[in-house]
Amino acid sequence: MAELLRMENISKCFGSFYANKDVTFDVREGEVHTLLGENGAGKSTLMNVLVGLYQPTEGKIFMHGREVQITSPGVAVENGIGMVHQHFMLIDAMTGLENIILGDKRHDTPLLREGDDRKTIEGLMDRYGLEIDLDEKVANMSIGMQQRVEIMKVLFRGAELLILDEPTAVLTDLEVEGLFEIMHSLTSEGKSIIFISHKMREVMRISDRVTVLRRGESIETVDVANVTEQELADLMIGQKFQESTYPKVEDAGEVAFELKGVSYRPEVKHGGLKDVSLAIHKGEILGVAGIDGNGQTPLAEVVTGLVKPESGEVYGPDGKEIALFSPRSFIKAGLGNIPEDRNKMGLVGDMTVAENLVLKQTTSDKFSAGHGKWLKMGEIHDYANKLREENDIRCTSVEQTARSLSGGNQQKVILARELEGEPKLLVAVYPTRGLDIGATEFIHNQIVAQRDAGCAVLLISADFDEVLKLSDRIVVLFEGQVMGTYPGANPPIKEISLAMAGK
Amino acid sequence: MAKKELSAEERSEKRLMILTPIVSVLLALIVGAIIIAVLGKDPIQGYAAMLRGSLGDPAKIAKTLERACPLVFTGLCAVFAYKCGVFNLGGEGQFIMGGCATATVMFGLGLQGPVGLALGLIVGMVVGGIWGLLPGIMKITRGLNEMITTIMLNYVALYFMEYVFKNLYSDSGLPKTLAIPQSARLPQIANAHVGVLVAILLGVFIWYLIFRTSFGFKIRAVGMNPVASKVNGFPVKRLVLLAFIISGAIAGLGGAIELLGRTPFRLADGFGSGFGFDGVAIALIAQLNPIAAIFVALLFGVLSTGGTMMQSVIGVPTAIVEIVRGLIIIFAVAGMAAVKLPKIRAFFAARQNAKVKKAEVNA
Repeated sequence: MAELLRMENISKCFGSFYANKDVTFDVREGEVHTLLGENGAGKSTLMNVLVGLYQPTEGKIFMHGREVQITSPGVAVENGIGMVHQHFMLIDAMTGLENIILGDKRHDTPLLREGDDRKTIEGLMDRYGLEIDLDEKVANMSIGMQQRVEIMKVLFRGAELLILDEPTAVLTDLEVEGLFEIMHSLTSEGKSIIFISHKMREVMRISDRVTVLRRGESIETVDVANVTEQELADLMIGQKFQESTYPKVEDAGEVAFELKGVSYRPEVKHGGLKDVSLAIHKGEILGVAGIDGNGQTPLAEVVTGLVKPESGEVYGPDGKEIALFSPRSFIKAGLGNIPEDRNKMGLVGDMTVAENLVLKQTTSDKFSAGHGKWLKMGEIHDYANKLREENDIRCTSVEQTARSLSGGNQQKVILARELEGEPKLLVAVYPTRGLDIGATEFIHNQIVAQRDAGCAVLLISADFDEVLKLSDRIVVLFEGQVMGTYPGANPPIKEISLAMAGK
Repeated sequence: MAKKELSAEERSEKRLMILTPIVSVLLALIVGAIIIAVLGKDPIQGYAAMLRGSLGDPAKIAKTLERACPLVFTGLCAVFAYKCGVFNLGGEGQFIMGGCATATVMFGLGLQGPVGLALGLIVGMVVGGIWGLLPGIMKITRGLNEMITTIMLNYVALYFMEYVFKNLYSDSGLPKTLAIPQSARLPQIANAHVGVLVAILLGVFIWYLIFRTSFGFKIRAVGMNPVASKVNGFPVKRLVLLAFIISGAIAGLGGAIELLGRTPFRLADGFGSGFGFDGVAIALIAQLNPIAAIFVALLFGVLSTGGTMMQSVIGVPTAIVEIVRGLIIIFAVAGMAAVKLPKIRAFFAARQNAKVKKAEVNA
């Protein structure tokens, strides 16, 4: 196969920090080439260089053996490079067709020629098996179809090389199959694909070759046929990786928190709860599995007191029905909360690490004099340093702003703060999203330790593997409804993944 | 207090934050000098006159302090609200309403002497707080943008004051109120009224409140991230309302002190005019630090009182001073935005690294 793209010795600096250092890799015509690496390994930076969003500090890019200067995203499109971003760049209020032809300048007239474009697009749809309802508004499309619109946008602009950035993260298993079929038909027509993912199973299945990135450097390019999953994982993190397993609890304690027939905005398909009943027991982890956007957010909001359900009953740790829904009263009743978005909901980014660690306790006698009036700055500082040691929070000083920490360390700050209150109920929502393997391990260990200490844990995660690994019982959410409850020990994986797709 | 250990980058950032306003003041003065030179006058002579006119002798210093005093209050008013994340542009209205309330205590109730003085200050503060509370209620219950409502309320206050000095307590039909009776005026220390001292103490107090109490902690947390504050159990709405009230009360107290302390001791056209927006500018240049706000307000006072002297000595219009003041604001705000740009940050970080390396080599 002929070489399509070659990136040679690419370096990209931000200040004194190398996001990419001397990265070299190439893509052949008609292959699926995976970029594999942990968060922060430099995959996004490299792709941003390729699509012209960043200029490389050093290095050259060749298309078809000819050197090209990709000075802007427009130039990338001219060179046949198109990117499907992880977060779709679509306009919800417009139809599929309008989104696809938006901003395209192939016609000389200032008028839209939707009829011609529709024909072109329908031709492409047939050729590659992309099924799109062109006249449906994006807002009403399934996530899978929105993704196909994104892919079509790129194809319509004549891309030969498609970059798919974590395309499977938002899809159900069934939709992933559909996507893989499309990828096959694209490569059999001579298109090339750069596939970005860290899900080993998928990488092994779909790729021809894999380039592993680590700390901004390209470590190795391998043929998938010649490696095992374990070897790839070891390459990715740079050492032998042994994933820990946790024993499952089967006889949990009494009920610590219970929802009975709870509904919240049930008319909203991707943001409501419909008649949800579930119980969280002391000393168990209840995992909520489901594809992103099937009611996880409202569920988290209800169990942390941010919103009041429209109907149904909620029972707190003392067994009494909860009438007052406010984060404050829930915290008083013993709630620990690792929220969905750590920057937006968990931390005050411009405050220091120390201040964030005592966020909930500023009026306690420990940290303030005069019944919660004057802060004891020294106490706060010492306490913060103590937590920093205990939780291995890596920072130059606890007086640094929380914003300047890495994601993993930010999450450790939140975890340290929440667990110090010895919660009766711990709600962890996407607790390891965007974290590297080391930080993920630490967070998982801490959550399991809480369970073993008798805390009731509600784990909400879109990462199915994480739910399987930690949960003692698994509940599946689909379009705001509970599809079923499954045991955490020897879970019926097939059944669960069908339930996640609503079947 | 525990000693702060900061990384080299953060130290350089802190230094930049302090340097920016100083550099912007210098730049503004240089541009002002160029303008004066273009007008064919001697800028050095002009600036010398400005300094002599504002700080030349004790009497002039007192005058400058009195001029700066209301700006300290409106500056602190803006600082406090911004710290809680609300943009109170109504400092002027709250200031004026404070003055009106004090006038009512004096002329409406006919109080005099220390009782009148004390009550005048308290009522001024309370009414200022209420005037701040109104936009707060509108924001909390109906989501109205406080920038709009506070500005609108400024006009309400302005025309209400006009009613007060033209109709209610007019001095024999003239468009100004009666003068505050001698016995109820603020006492003087070294030619300046004690309000100046109050202003400075208040600045220190507000700093302490914001940075050293758990109430201030919550105010800051809400200002920087209201969502996280809510998730972590802070009563966000109540804190925002309190911030509006306190902010308004500070401005209201300023209005009361202005009326009770500074000649002509009456409400008339122009009372408090422009103080609200000057306060906003002061808060921005001071980077929301209450103590820095005192110094910036003093600088504004120097420019105002010195400007008159400059006009009479070298014959340039006082508008030059307005230009310099405007330039300070522009340079300071632009400078603060600029130091946040990644390229400029990288430049300073690189310089810092070079310095550290040099130090290592030397060692």
